[in-house]
Amino acid sequence: MVARVRWLELQLLVPPGLLGIVGLLTVYLSGTGTTRWSWSDIWLSLAYMGIVLAISVWLSLIGFRGDQVLLPLVAMLSGLGLLLSQRLQLVLSSEAAWATLAQRQIVYLALSFALLWGTLTFLHRLEWLRRYKYTAAVSALGLTLVTMLFGVEIHGARLWLDLGLVTVQPGELVKVLLVIFLAGYLDDYRDVIATGYRAGPVTLPPLPYLLPMLVMWGVAVLAVVLQRDLGNALLLFGIFLCMLYLATGRVGYVLAGLVAFSAAVYLALQLFDHIRVRIQVWLDPWSQPLTAGFQSIQADFAFAHGHLFGTGLGFGNPQFVPVVASDYVFAAIGEELGLVGAMAVLALYLLLVARGLMIALLATESFTRLLTAGLTVVVALQTLIILAGTVRLLPLTGITLPFISAGGSSLVTNFLIVALLLKASEATGATR
Amino acid sequence: MSWLVRTAALIAATVIVVYGVATTGDRTEPVWLALVIVIGLLWTLALWPSLPRSVRNVDRTIVYLATVFAVGFLLVGLQLVRVQALDRERIQRRSFSAGIEGVVDPRRQALGQLQLRGRILARDGTVIAETKLTENGRPRRVYPFAPAAYLAGYFSPALYGAANIERAFDNELSGRTGNRRLRDWIAGILKRPTAGYDVVLTIDPELQSLADRLLGDRPGAVVLLDARSGAVLAMASAPVFDPNSLSVGPWLTSEEEAAARASWELLQRSTDGPLVLRPTQGRYPPGSTFKTVVLAAALESGVATLDSWYRDEGMLVVGSRVILEQNRPDPERVSYSLQEAYGYSLNVVFAQLGLELGAGRLSAAAAGFGFGEPVPFELPVSPSVLSVDPAYLSNPAGLAETSFGQGQLLVTPLQMALVTAAVVRGGDMPVPRLVERIQTFGGEVIEQHRARSWRRAMSAETAAAVEQAMRWSVERGYVRGAQIEGAVVGGKTGTAEVGNRLPHAWFIGFAVQDGRELVVAVVVEHAGSGGEIALPIGRALLEAALRR
Repeated sequence: MVARVRWLELQLLVPPGLLGIVGLLTVYLSGTGTTRWSWSDIWLSLAYMGIVLAISVWLSLIGFRGDQVLLPLVAMLSGLGLLLSQRLQLVLSSEAAWATLAQRQIVYLALSFALLWGTLTFLHRLEWLRRYKYTAAVSALGLTLVTMLFGVEIHGARLWLDLGLVTVQPGELVKVLLVIFLAGYLDDYRDVIATGYRAGPVTLPPLPYLLPMLVMWGVAVLAVVLQRDLGNALLLFGIFLCMLYLATGRVGYVLAGLVAFSAAVYLALQLFDHIRVRIQVWLDPWSQPLTAGFQSIQADFAFAHGHLFGTGLGFGNPQFVPVVASDYVFAAIGEELGLVGAMAVLALYLLLVARGLMIALLATESFTRLLTAGLTVVVALQTLIILAGTVRLLPLTGITLPFISAGGSSLVTNFLIVALLLKASEATGATR
Repeated sequence: MSWLVRTAALIAATVIVVYGVATTGDRTEPVWLALVIVIGLLWTLALWPSLPRSVRNVDRTIVYLATVFAVGFLLVGLQLVRVQALDRERIQRRSFSAGIEGVVDPRRQALGQLQLRGRILARDGTVIAETKLTENGRPRRVYPFAPAAYLAGYFSPALYGAANIERAFDNELSGRTGNRRLRDWIAGILKRPTAGYDVVLTIDPELQSLADRLLGDRPGAVVLLDARSGAVLAMASAPVFDPNSLSVGPWLTSEEEAAARASWELLQRSTDGPLVLRPTQGRYPPGSTFKTVVLAAALESGVATLDSWYRDEGMLVVGSRVILEQNRPDPERVSYSLQEAYGYSLNVVFAQLGLELGAGRLSAAAAGFGFGEPVPFELPVSPSVLSVDPAYLSNPAGLAETSFGQGQLLVTPLQMALVTAAVVRGGDMPVPRLVERIQTFGGEVIEQHRARSWRRAMSAETAAAVEQAMRWSVERGYVRGAQIEGAVVGGKTGTAEVGNRLPHAWFIGFAVQDGRELVVAVVVEHAGSGGEIALPIGRALLEAALRR
């Protein structure tokens, strides 16, 4: 392989680098109230930028021809996440853990970049994944089952596996496995599923071919509902519908799915009290200001306090919002970076999604196309669902904000997605 | 899709956004959420990519999906604009409290904001509440004028929220309101703490001290109103709490917190309700003072005149209930005019009057005086009621009892003061007010509160007749102790029976001199007869107020 310098990527990496250094300095100086600082105060950002730069240089060295915008976007978002973890650990009471919030985050980031490197190095062809679609399906089911049986409950949802040293959230990986399975399966049976059986003037849906997917999806959703985690149920359902649409191009499936989902929501409303409470609190958090609505009210206060330009990093009070480091990290962004900052973050996500879908468009193989589009859908839907929840466009669900929320499982999974996207962009052969 | 359709969709969406923002208060109001769906559809229409026919179906789906996601992000952005730029003042102003617990924007307690919190002043500038720096340089809310401290309430954002004026005027005190919109807007963007405004009360500190002193530590309430303007000149309540002991700011030391918690515990455990502001939230049976309302009802409806004659033989049997008369001036005399019956407070006569009136007309008259309605006041007022159980009045015995002020009647002292004010104002009931104006620290008036009338309680003729009856009570009836030299005084005492404890002592009265009209309502809990206990307090206050 011939080394070729990825100039665009290097140039685009300047803003994340500046963000890391200036942001961390602001956080540090806002705490001390002086202007004296030393390099050790910003070692976190320097270490982070070192890792990112190393990856970029390595990509140049191996002559990687893939997308040059993806990495800077991701570096910006996860750099912001690292910055926020450093900022929030100043004011959040530290839980018993093996390191501070920011230290854990940088370790997770290092792991994530290692995974990215590993994926790009050892996964030679994405097509290879197609062969393991049923393996992916089975392991997704297995992981869900194991979590259901042996999981531990945090914040009222049983999503975590306690591995002694760390707790992991297998549900994050399940999403990727599900996309791999759906991409492989839908690509194989695309035509049958798209056309259906013709019986005279009526077209019947090809039930036998839809069945394995429906079962797979049904089990996943059921498991998620039993785990009392609605955000993930909505997410898995959304992924399923989007991929079905991408593969068949038939809006009818989507509409039918939406109707089915509405029915399910209605049923859930009748069955589960906590869902009713969620809806109630979404429409009027002040109906239960001391209990279920408290978090949402505090988030509103934080957003409102931020106004147009925010308080500046380190000058707000995001600690008043419960679970601010994961569910409500966007409220901290809104308060300290203001409407302008929050909009910028929205734009970054939109760019990331657009880039992912563009890679899918340019992909030459149909499996790769479905896979990359599906993976992008995972990021897009997850971002949309949690952001819509925090700004009360939808009821709040407890899922993480990709790249920014504190938490290892989510970060590692999202970097796996980025790695697969990068791989796919290389396979298109187009020079960028 | 032609550019015409796109432009139209975009314009329509913009119009709907503007309309929605203008008409809805919160971004999860169902109307707004419905509009959001419409806006989303219009944006989708405006952005929908028109792809040439040659584009493959698989490519098409990806582009369409991207459009849908983009609209989703735009909608998130729309909600974000609402919460961060458009609805923010409304959001920050919202608060909730239930007993000990409450929810308020914790950023309000920020150090700088507390430092700049406005003062609460009496009408002559006496400081009732202000923020001072303690020895260690941290701001602390202090209440130097003890007789009115509990009117100011307490301000304890770190622990117990706020009460009374501190709570009702929190927005003004923290400078979140007023006509300086641009100044506040810029301060909000730049995150500068805004200087709070001073709240000037209508309270006259001298009269307030007197009222507080006269009441002493006997549980009860006093309201002294300027009937002309509705201004509360004194409003005393007992027992009280010391807000200084509860006032804790942000970053409190553990000793401060422990001390505040201890005083709070003490207040909570106390059985005589020191946190209840009795003039507005204490509800008592009014006893004979309520005869004023019954008299007005009878005169207004034409059932009787002041010269109508009634028999009082010392006893009246209504159904199974026997009403005994103890108030007759002369046990031999059985015939009294209505004027005399009011002045001697004859229960038997008023029971007959009530039965003549009937429940319907009595309720209508009471409603005319504002019973059952929230009184428009700066502090929350418990509504006064004719009967707790609406069916109670349909029972003749219940109606008779109600007519002389017992039964299930529950009234606030403020309500009775307003009844008296309506009498001297020719039937017009004023809006009572405790706040004179909102001003800057330098004295520039931001908002002047003016005298307003609340409702017409009775006709001018009826009011004149009731006024005459109240004056007769003072000049020739049982309320002679209320006379003040040089002033026209009218009044009515009440001795409200409550179970087997001592009765509540009541007095309502007015004094008119040189164009000044003052009214007072006094209640002392479980203290004995109105004439002996409550009347002297009321009289002393009226006299002092006339001299001011």
